[in-house]
Amino acid sequence: MMAIDNLGLYVHIPYCVRKCNYCDFCSLPNGGSNVPDEYVSALCTEIISYQKEKRRCLDTVYFGGGTPSLLSVSQMQKILGCIRETFDISSLAEITFEANPGTINGDKAYGFKALGFNRVSLGLQSIHENEMKKLGRIHNFEEFLSAFNLLRIAGFDNINVDLMYGIPYQTKESFESTLRTVVDLSPEHISSYGLILEEGTPLFLQKDTLQFPTQDDECDMYDLCREIIGQSGYEHYEISNYAKSGKRSRHNMLYWNLAEYIGVGAAAHSYLDVHRYYNTDIVTEYINSMLDGDFSRAESEVDLPFEYVMLKLRLSDGFLLSEYEALFGKSFLSGREEIVDRLGKEGLLEIENGALRLTERGFYLSNSILVEFL
Amino acid sequence: MTEKQKHIRNFSIIAHIDHGKSTLADRILEKTKTVASRDMESQILDNMDLERERGITIKARAVKLNYRAANGEDYVYNLIDTPGHVDFGYEVSRSLQACEGALLVVDATQGVEAQTLANAYLAVDNNLEILPVINKIDLASADIEGARREIEDIIGIPAEGCPAVSAKVGLNIEDVLEKIVTDIPAPKGDPDAPLKALIFDSHYDPYLGVVVYIRIIDGTLRAGEKIRLMARGTEFEVVEVGTMEPFGLAKCDSLSAGEVGYITASIKTVGDTRVGDTVTTAEGGAEEPLPGFREVHPMVYSGIYPADGARYGDLRDALEKLQLNDASLVFEPETSVALGFGFRCGFLGLLHMEIIEERLEREFNLDLITTAPSVIYKVKLRSGETVMVDNPSMFPTPDEIDTSYEPIMKATVITPTEFVGGIMDLCQDRRGVFVDMKYLDTERVELHYMLPLNEIIYDFFDALKSRSKGYASLDYELHGYEASKLVKLDFMLNGEVVDALSFIVFEDRAYGRARKIAEKLKENIPRQLFEIPIQAAIGSKIIARETVKAMRKDVLAKCYGGDITRKKKLLEKQKEGKKKMRKLGSVEVTPEAFMAVLRLDDGN
Repeated sequence: MMAIDNLGLYVHIPYCVRKCNYCDFCSLPNGGSNVPDEYVSALCTEIISYQKEKRRCLDTVYFGGGTPSLLSVSQMQKILGCIRETFDISSLAEITFEANPGTINGDKAYGFKALGFNRVSLGLQSIHENEMKKLGRIHNFEEFLSAFNLLRIAGFDNINVDLMYGIPYQTKESFESTLRTVVDLSPEHISSYGLILEEGTPLFLQKDTLQFPTQDDECDMYDLCREIIGQSGYEHYEISNYAKSGKRSRHNMLYWNLAEYIGVGAAAHSYLDVHRYYNTDIVTEYINSMLDGDFSRAESEVDLPFEYVMLKLRLSDGFLLSEYEALFGKSFLSGREEIVDRLGKEGLLEIENGALRLTERGFYLSNSILVEFL
Repeated sequence: MTEKQKHIRNFSIIAHIDHGKSTLADRILEKTKTVASRDMESQILDNMDLERERGITIKARAVKLNYRAANGEDYVYNLIDTPGHVDFGYEVSRSLQACEGALLVVDATQGVEAQTLANAYLAVDNNLEILPVINKIDLASADIEGARREIEDIIGIPAEGCPAVSAKVGLNIEDVLEKIVTDIPAPKGDPDAPLKALIFDSHYDPYLGVVVYIRIIDGTLRAGEKIRLMARGTEFEVVEVGTMEPFGLAKCDSLSAGEVGYITASIKTVGDTRVGDTVTTAEGGAEEPLPGFREVHPMVYSGIYPADGARYGDLRDALEKLQLNDASLVFEPETSVALGFGFRCGFLGLLHMEIIEERLEREFNLDLITTAPSVIYKVKLRSGETVMVDNPSMFPTPDEIDTSYEPIMKATVITPTEFVGGIMDLCQDRRGVFVDMKYLDTERVELHYMLPLNEIIYDFFDALKSRSKGYASLDYELHGYEASKLVKLDFMLNGEVVDALSFIVFEDRAYGRARKIAEKLKENIPRQLFEIPIQAAIGSKIIARETVKAMRKDVLAKCYGGDITRKKKLLEKQKEGKKKMRKLGSVEVTPEAFMAVLRLDDGN
């Protein structure tokens, strides 16, 4: 039903050298050893289960984690082989892997490049050692630099760097130096997320003993992103994402544009035929059921009109009111005139050329604004 | 006096708070149970233990106990409980009227305190024989002689040879039981005279209807008889007569002068049985009722709303259930623009209000929003009409009012002399008019003031306690209405009046209160997408203002690897939180914040 018929593939690698203190995502610390072969086999089995008479055409492939860079070149080759067998990759435009700087060496940089990867997402978070320690990261800035340079030498011309603000003991000054250092490296893409304290994480348990930046400081840090990254030739195209011209993350754009995607691996989510499915997040359970040939997945509810708004409003382009009406058979504004008018007067959103979008100020308050539309 | 009467003792236990009243009652129950158990069937004993476990004897307002004294004779003890607060002063006095004596418990480590004195006076007023009991003698700091001396010097009753006990460890409880036989008079009254029975309490039972607790003063009451309740002249046929045994109600054929028991008579609501009323027979009944009956009316009103609007029906059911056992609770439906559907409730006083709120929350699992308590004002309008106003939102506008009147209380404060200065300052600050001051002895003073009830409900009791280290006690009764300069103070959020926040205030106080509440609103209203102006106004005149600044940012969550549901759940949770918010005009406030603003604390 959507205008975009592109398909994305997400591959989840739930293994890490160690789990970061803020992470409540599906990942297992494995102390630096490799990804178990049986997990790779399970992944391959699941990928192959998508073989149909009509091969679907993949637009993007994204290896996320966890730490996909823990995969050996041969493991990666095996997985990509299954993808090639299952899908039509003749128009594959973007193939990304997430990497922890501490796990990148020459073999992997050249090896993955040779396998066809054309984009890397590097988790840096901060250039300051004390802040990285608080987050429980395994690398330091020097390691990041050598990984970054190695990837460049290996030929990667599309690199994303992940940054984080709101870290304990982070200051506006320290964040500013992180931003300036990264911008000087000139990666093609920068993601800058606010730290979220998730219940049950080590950082959450320590929250009363750690000193976090205040709300206002965090707000100023968000401002710094806009200023420093925005003025260095990057487009602020999504709430937390900045890209050089033509370097938006195609894979993430699929999510935000409500295109279809298949997620494989433990805890991976799929969106197909207006249904959302997800795999178990218990890794052993995932491996066992895949190897047993049991591909049943849990389903979560879909509320398409709201999801459309929720995802589209993350983008600086917003959405076309006419597209909303065409898709859902009703006007977005009807019944919302008052709140839209009020948010408009407050300078939080605007309607221009038939598109409704959040302003830069509106981005700050996107949750509260979305709640008004829910 | 009949043989039967000679072997009855009717008494209450009175004490200052925490001096050990309940513990002593428990011990007395325990000791008499042991004695009586020789004659009891094992099943009844089991029953009793079960009831005790459930705490029913603690709830029971009167209990009949059997005691074999040292002289070898068997006695019936009726122990009648009394509520312990100024709101229930009338009920206490009726319970005492049903007794011949009172055990006055005094803590050996504390001596005589304000409520000891106030309770002792109440007992004396009701012509009760007071039997002092010195408690907590097991504690190292116990000063038995000191306590004895204080009882004699301050209260002025002999304490020579009074029992010194430890209710906690069960020491010397027999002394108390024996003293009850020797010191508390047996009841008098003629079993053959026309019936006069005093109602001192009642409760609603789903199977029996209203169970009325009575003390027979004169005459005899039998099952099947037709009775008349003298205050209103209503008549009923007695279904059941009986006594309150420790294990529950026990039917009997009749009750006669001097006895304490219960009747059931197919009475539907406790409102039909007024505490203090006299029961007599419909035929050949008494000419005159017993003295002291008074209709009790609510003095304090407050709006009670469910925090979750969908639970309005539950709140109504809960209030109806509570009213079954509490005739002094009144309520009627009320609608507030800010709070939705709720009830305007009338209470005897602040404590009564707090008890009801607590029971609604605890026993019925309701989250409540309550508006600031209000008294009943009398307003003479320019039109010549006079209206009674128990709800600030109904208060007429300044140009409609000719004269407004507020209830003035005759207040008595008993305090150790060292706190007199601070208490006089407090009373003066609360617009009190000094009447007189009496020295009870070298250490204690009784102060009389005329105080507006409006000021008493504004945290007066807590202020009094904090200025007297908890020693001062307060009692008050309605004196009458007096003319006063009253205004209605309104609060506006974003330019809209929030009706639930309005209250009536003495004009000179309006500015201070307005500023304080505006500040509290600012502190408690969360920053929202928009800036929120807060204004306080009398009529159209703004007298205070504050601003809640707009929120700058909220949590900008990431979308993890296509997991849309996670983000959606987060937003739904936020939405859920928002649903709980109360819309005050266009502004959203959590119920907690609303309550924080309404909570009256010490101050101006």
